[in-house]
Amino acid sequence: MFSKILVANRGEIAVRIMATAREMGIGTVAVYSRGDSMSLHVLSADEAVLLGDSDPAESYLNADRIIAAALDTGAEAIHPGYGFLSENPEFAAKVAAAGLAFIGPPAEVMAKLGNKTTARRIMMEHGVPVIPGMISSESDPQRLATLAEDLGFPVLVKAAAGGGGKGMRIVETMESLAESAELAASEALSAFGDGSVYLEKLLVRPRHVEFQILADAHGNVVHLFERECSIQRRHQKIIEETPSPALHAELREQMAAAAVTAARAAGYVNAGTVEFLVDQSGNFYFLEVNTRLQVEHPITEMTTGIDLVRRQLEVAAGLPLPFTQEEIVRRGHAIECRIYAEDPARDFMPSPGTILFCRTPEGPGVRYDHGIYPGFEIPVNYDPILGKLVVWAEDRPAAVNRMIRSLKECAILGVSTPVEFLLDVVRSAAFRSGDTHTNFIDEHFSEWHPESSAIETVLAAAAHEMTHSPATRKLDGQPGDHPGISPWNTLGSWDLAR
Amino acid sequence: MEYRIRIGQEIHAVQTTPPDDAGLCIMALDGQTRRVTARSISPNHLHVAVDGKGFNLFVVRTAEGTWIWNRGRPRFVQDADAVQTRKTRGPADTASEITPPTPATVIRVLVEVGGTVTKGQPVVVVSAMKMEMTLSAPYEGRVRAVNTVPGAQVSPGEILVEIDPEPEADNE
Repeated sequence: MFSKILVANRGEIAVRIMATAREMGIGTVAVYSRGDSMSLHVLSADEAVLLGDSDPAESYLNADRIIAAALDTGAEAIHPGYGFLSENPEFAAKVAAAGLAFIGPPAEVMAKLGNKTTARRIMMEHGVPVIPGMISSESDPQRLATLAEDLGFPVLVKAAAGGGGKGMRIVETMESLAESAELAASEALSAFGDGSVYLEKLLVRPRHVEFQILADAHGNVVHLFERECSIQRRHQKIIEETPSPALHAELREQMAAAAVTAARAAGYVNAGTVEFLVDQSGNFYFLEVNTRLQVEHPITEMTTGIDLVRRQLEVAAGLPLPFTQEEIVRRGHAIECRIYAEDPARDFMPSPGTILFCRTPEGPGVRYDHGIYPGFEIPVNYDPILGKLVVWAEDRPAAVNRMIRSLKECAILGVSTPVEFLLDVVRSAAFRSGDTHTNFIDEHFSEWHPESSAIETVLAAAAHEMTHSPATRKLDGQPGDHPGISPWNTLGSWDLAR
Repeated sequence: MEYRIRIGQEIHAVQTTPPDDAGLCIMALDGQTRRVTARSISPNHLHVAVDGKGFNLFVVRTAEGTWIWNRGRPRFVQDADAVQTRKTRGPADTASEITPPTPATVIRVLVEVGGTVTKGQPVVVVSAMKMEMTLSAPYEGRVRAVNTVPGAQVSPGEILVEIDPEPEADNE
């Protein structure tokens, strides 16, 4: 096993990876940008190396500086986390060429699966069902029109190199096809440096269900069941759960077998995720393979009891998986809510700023992976994820109630967060019924705004009264006013001003 | 005593009696009366009982008002009368100016000095936290000044592009 690793990421995921490394007695090296010198991942590491300016190209996307930092500090392996360089095959290859272990799949496997049309072809050759559509990219508008006609509208124009909803357009009619294809191609070119696009049949109200895969370098491949990730905003997951309320035992078995087949077909090693869409008739289709640790990995850890980061490190060190498929059992139900610095009442616009106060939810079955503390200034240069609130309970109704309780305790003040929005979603009859699909938020919560009850107004008034010190009243031009003016002044000192 | 508080856009009238020995007071809010007992547990933690039912609130006092975390629902509470006397800069004030809604990086400037713009025409694209936002012309007019360049770090309130309204334009 390694004696020291470098985590080439920031924020909550870097903190989470270092936690397992520390438990395993492995030293940790953080890397950071100038804007992140006070970030929690830097404070959590044994050593920290400054990469450069806050611009990602100067820091977390700068492969050479990251590898140099690993060599300088004597780290033997690099964990890429998610995002940034985690799915960049050139980075994986450079890490290996520098004599370091890359904690993820081999570069060539990553390259194959990273191209969506290549991945689709591999899956089709091995009998894994794919969404009806093209197996190679196309730029000729005439060809695209013919293919769209064959698939039947609506269709989806997708970037071959895409991800995260970028370079993706829904096309309802033939008239808008050419323009949408052009827009998707230019967006893909600027986001991924590759403007090739392809067409896929658009499924109506599908569910997003993915399977966690673990594979070692000795040919063992297992799955760790599914995650339901249908609740999304702007094509990004915000609530995930396992088991999926949509799968029955037989469908689960078929999809798990397809996921394992997909991993074997690609020669997969380390932790990965095979994503599927499930239509309303219960047909499932391969979507893509994510060749990294997922944001939502904790719900799998909660229900299987397996530490995925620990297994990633062991596999990267050449060790075999210590369990067989039959030995992996799942228990209970887990839900994750992602907490970003964003304003759900203003179309989820990012809301950078300073965390004035925050508090960690506690109690039975609660896990909070985060990268914040009171006084932390959220940098504007990166993805605005602050943390992930995860709960486990014996069954889905109990897990929903536990999530409601935990969200109420997950205090974050100073910046807008979606906690109140998530609370209303999780409490809703639609979510409780388990009828989740990728249009869920648009269908049920597009007009959401915070609402207060009378009791909440009373509590706000009481808190306002408690925190309104006599000193402030004097500043307001009432020098004659004395403690009697406020019933709370006699209760003690409320000097909360900073 | 009597005063008014502001929670978001709502204003509420509050009346309270002096507390008794146990810290209990009678609070009338929007005409409804309740028995309220409040205790400070720590600088950021209050315990408030309303008609005997207890609640934990987390609070942060700032110069403009108080942030309150009430069971998953954060609110910003201000003294309504103090707020009115102070000139605040809210979204309503900035709607007619081209300024980013959050701290951001300028990606593209789509207009030049002297050029004409129509109402709603995109003029600047900014990016914050990996999300691109397009700032549009609030009214028809001619570009008087461009105060930014691609790559610049900008903040709310900074006017990125100045536009002189077309005198003959009759739209608002």
